[in-house]
Amino acid sequence: MSLDLTKIAQAVGHMVARLKAGRQEKQRHLQYALNVIGNQAIDLEPLKRKIALSKTSWLVAGPVDGLGQRYQAPAAPDEFTILASDGSHIDVDRHRSTRCYLINIGGAHLDYGASPNAALNSHPHLYSADEDLVMTPVAGGRQQVIEGSLLGIKRSVEECRHLTGMAAELPSDRPALALLDGSLILWGLASLDYPEFVVSALLDKGFLNSLEQMKGISQDKNLALASYISFPGSTDVVNALRLAICPHEPADCDRYCDKIPCGKRDCDAVAGIRDRELFLGFLGPGERSALFISQSSIVRKRYGDHRVHFFYLRVDDEIARVELPQWVALDNDRLELAHALILDQCRRGHGYPVALSEAHEQAVITGADREQFYQLVELSLTEVQLPTLTSAKSRSKRTRWI
Amino acid sequence: MQRVGEVIEASTTEFTAQCYELYQLPPLGSLAKTREGELELYGVVYNATTSSLEPGRRPIARGKDEVSEDEIYRSSPQLLKLLKSEFGALVVGHKQGDRTFHYLPPRPARIHGFVYLCPAEEVRSFSSSFGFLNILTGSNLSVPAEELTAACLRYISQAYEDRRRFLVAAGRELASLLSGQLNRLQAILERIKQ
Repeated sequence: MSLDLTKIAQAVGHMVARLKAGRQEKQRHLQYALNVIGNQAIDLEPLKRKIALSKTSWLVAGPVDGLGQRYQAPAAPDEFTILASDGSHIDVDRHRSTRCYLINIGGAHLDYGASPNAALNSHPHLYSADEDLVMTPVAGGRQQVIEGSLLGIKRSVEECRHLTGMAAELPSDRPALALLDGSLILWGLASLDYPEFVVSALLDKGFLNSLEQMKGISQDKNLALASYISFPGSTDVVNALRLAICPHEPADCDRYCDKIPCGKRDCDAVAGIRDRELFLGFLGPGERSALFISQSSIVRKRYGDHRVHFFYLRVDDEIARVELPQWVALDNDRLELAHALILDQCRRGHGYPVALSEAHEQAVITGADREQFYQLVELSLTEVQLPTLTSAKSRSKRTRWI
Repeated sequence: MQRVGEVIEASTTEFTAQCYELYQLPPLGSLAKTREGELELYGVVYNATTSSLEPGRRPIARGKDEVSEDEIYRSSPQLLKLLKSEFGALVVGHKQGDRTFHYLPPRPARIHGFVYLCPAEEVRSFSSSFGFLNILTGSNLSVPAEELTAACLRYISQAYEDRRRFLVAAGRELASLLSGQLNRLQAILERIKQ
């Protein structure tokens, strides 16, 4: 039986009515937020200090060059290269006869200029050895199985590794941008309680190691690295505005506002607004915002030289969040190159970077691919007379009877 | 010998080949060949397409703000990697050893078999008799049999010094082959007259 929409239609109606009722208030909050960010009288240094000293329950963006700056994109160079990688995976299926997972990394290398060229590639890799399936601490102790969200994190590490490999082959004289999809912050590792050896293996020795290599590669090249988040849901900058309007010095939510109900605090004048809504009203087409630093604890504790900075970019009617490691963000030439080339990619790609969508197309694994993969595995097992046991649950899902 | 593509689909009566380079398609009616073991299969190109490499992704119009068509490919270099050109060939005979047969081979072409355009000498050798016309005129494809027959004869005639003489001889053969089908005969003759 498929989903009975008639049973949920009324709830959808209530949801829409609620959204409509809150629209006016939200508009008021947005206008207030726009006034605050556009307020030239806010002193940056005291605000930076306040942000550093305040205790809040939400993530606050650290301003670098201001709150309300707007930058036009510089012209893209005549000759340049865009690299991008993206990934897709088939997770471990405990209902199948074999424990294994597959990661497919797609890459796009696009040359623009007098001799345009493109190279698209995909690299599927099957992981089935014990050391691939389980992470074991050197000193012994609790093991960590790689599946689900941890596999998603491993995939991000592989995407970055692949991009680094592509960057290593770039000629040194061409301006180039290497693009990742999504965030440079491995949120999964930050939000879930993984043991130290897992974080160390995936982040320090994996993702950050690739960023370090990328930094090394970029030394004698005109290369920038960035990640692109379409339609971001983050509120870091709006939270910085909350602190800007907070009457307490420094802010301490638990101490001053613990007893005040949500919606009645001073900072709730900008509640419910996302950064993308704020910047859609603030930035002109093609403009980028000021630069901010992520204050996420995993970034502060572990990213070192690759500390994640970000800006918002207006592409037509959408706001994107662009994240950069510190060595790109604080190098004005690379920062401007990233701004110009990402905007150029979005314009060529009808609002989304062409290289990222082509890398995605190379990486994508469809439902049919998944089935064919398992058929191949089972066929290969049968050929060597190995049992192909699957769970009764899995069979019942595939063969639906009455 | 000019290699024009690679077989990606094959049956007893025809094969489809994908070109290595976009738009590098052999002309309609040209004589192509591919190998299957000791056999050489001859095919007449009857159809050509250029389309998206992936069935779910359709090309979209991109040139509104471009000054020329070439500029579209310059500003989106990935296009050349996302499109493919293919052609279909009707099997009209085969060669085994030194002997050419104007009837269907015992086995179809092999997938990934290389496809070549026959050089002029081989075109002359293949068309030294007109047995292949029977398969062409009797074909039932997306392109009308008369169009295909005429295109093939026009193409083959280019391999001869005296094109007219070849076409007149072919016309005589067709007159006998289509003796009861005057309209079809006329349709072909109209298309090969010089």
